[in-house]
Amino acid sequence: NSSDILLTVILLSLLLDGSCYCIFMCESRKSSIPAVQCVRTIKTSTWWDEHLTEDNANVMRRAVAEEYKQLTVDRLNPLKDEPWPRHEWDEKSRRVGLVAVKLGMMPVWTKSGERHVVTMLQVQDCHVIKHIPKEEYNGRTAALIIGAKNSPPFYRTEESLEMFRNAGVPPKQKVTTFHVTDNAVIKPGTPLYAAHFRPGQYVDVTAKTIGKGFQGVMKRWGFSGQPASHGQTKTHRRPGSLGPGGDPAKVFKGKKMPGKMGNVFDTAFGLKVWRVNTKANILYINGSVPGHRNCLVKVRDTILPHRLEKNRNPPFPTFFADGDEELPEDLYDENMFQFGEPIPG
Amino acid sequence: MAVSSRRAGGVVGSVRLLRSLQHQDGRLFSTSVARHTAGSEGQPPKFVPPSKPVIIDKAKSQASLRQFLSPEFIPPRQRTNPVKFAMERKDMIQRRKILNIPEFYVGSVLEVTMLDPHAASKTNRFVGICIQRSGKGLGATFTLRNIVDGQGVEICYELYSPRMKHIEVLKLEKRLDDNLFYLRDALPEYSTFDFDMKPVHLSPTQDVPVNQIKVRMKPRPWSKRWERPKFNVQGIRFDQCLTPEQMEHAQKWAEPWRQYDMLKEYDTSSVEEKILQEVQAELNK
Repeated sequence: NSSDILLTVILLSLLLDGSCYCIFMCESRKSSIPAVQCVRTIKTSTWWDEHLTEDNANVMRRAVAEEYKQLTVDRLNPLKDEPWPRHEWDEKSRRVGLVAVKLGMMPVWTKSGERHVVTMLQVQDCHVIKHIPKEEYNGRTAALIIGAKNSPPFYRTEESLEMFRNAGVPPKQKVTTFHVTDNAVIKPGTPLYAAHFRPGQYVDVTAKTIGKGFQGVMKRWGFSGQPASHGQTKTHRRPGSLGPGGDPAKVFKGKKMPGKMGNVFDTAFGLKVWRVNTKANILYINGSVPGHRNCLVKVRDTILPHRLEKNRNPPFPTFFADGDEELPEDLYDENMFQFGEPIPG
Repeated sequence: MAVSSRRAGGVVGSVRLLRSLQHQDGRLFSTSVARHTAGSEGQPPKFVPPSKPVIIDKAKSQASLRQFLSPEFIPPRQRTNPVKFAMERKDMIQRRKILNIPEFYVGSVLEVTMLDPHAASKTNRFVGICIQRSGKGLGATFTLRNIVDGQGVEICYELYSPRMKHIEVLKLEKRLDDNLFYLRDALPEYSTFDFDMKPVHLSPTQDVPVNQIKVRMKPRPWSKRWERPKFNVQGIRFDQCLTPEQMEHAQKWAEPWRQYDMLKEYDTSSVEEKILQEVQAELNK
């Protein structure tokens, strides 16, 4: 029946991960072949160093790293490079946030001797990549796309590299959007530093929580389970009843049940910034933060209404390193004990 | 020595004096030998006070001082960015420039003074034997144990807390184990230390002595089954408190494969050397 089968359309589509699928649209009256046949993952593309020798691959890596360094250096002077106009901070303005890497935790003491724990977040290669004006974004607020932590271009598509090329920055590992008021827009390509936040202010930190896999109801939702003995038959960690009886005669949507736990975005609100190291770009933030060590987290000024008074007059729209301000290497909160202080008494 | 013998054997007596002054580790007190001026014959020699001894420490060269890196400087084996440890080390060194934290081990007797806003004299002093050193980085702690008025007391201090005022080592020594929790079940004489104990001096070139003491225990039951191999206690006199059958029964919990566990291997020698040099360079600045 080959004459009956007309091959009308062959679609070859290249997906982001390099796999491709073909759709054969067949028109036939009597054939039993289904109308659409999908054949997935016919890889016709190659990876970047398949046809390169080891030496050449290393040369490519080094060349790319040098290019990134050059790009970063070119962008170090945003104020001299046709900057966008800078406005003053006011109560209603929202400024951009940062993306940082979670390093670890350590103790911190106040002047009265109380001990708190802080998380260290390091801002590595944070750049503004794009500005989306109010009209294009959601009609109410403008948006700024921020990227952090340089990553190699080798396994990325040309489309994804395009926006980094337009901004003149190296490709980034994580790219996020921040809602921003119109007076806080920054020119794409500007580097962002840890001094954007100051000690004593409050921030919200968002990150993907550590994935725990498929978990039961006791770990996932904190149910108390059943007793270990006294006649319990094969029921120690089960959810028990799923709801009321014959009247709804169903289980309500959203019932807490076992399932995949973790690996979702979660935000910790109202965390105080204790210390800012301007040389290594590290923020010391109170308490714990979602995510594992070396994960990328999104830090922004807090939205909690009772903490807004602590966030007045921040560096607006951001801290420019080539400006007039000369900051000391470490900025401490006024209550924090600094290790160079002499012993009293 | 009688005055007459000193007068008679003038030079010989002085040499004997010199020899008695000389210490085993080769320090030489160079005193002027002819201290006794030969006065006129009939009169006793005029006493000339000795000149100040000039201590030429030939033995105490830089190389022979014992090198000690506090265990909280050694980073744990984790997938953590070394920048984090470097920042913590900077803070620790800054604190050590203000407060002198001496070298000590588990088994040394320490005296600690803390600042206490609620005490009358605003300070709080405690003396005890160090039974544990734990924690890495700025959160490093050590626990001191003593028996006060018949009551055993253990206090856990943070080395880098701003409330620490003074730490002094009264007796520097090591023990056969790296934690001495079994002292809780040992006879109280092994945990009692006088609050007014005088410090015992140890030369900075000598190796730290290891106290081979094996402690006698109170009757069983103990807080932990110290005879079991997982605790690996060397410092208890098991022959006085357990029968050989009980010792053999405890070996049932032995896990002989643990010594071959490659994931537990952590060779810190190269890391230690680098950190030691860095810390000494910073402290000497």
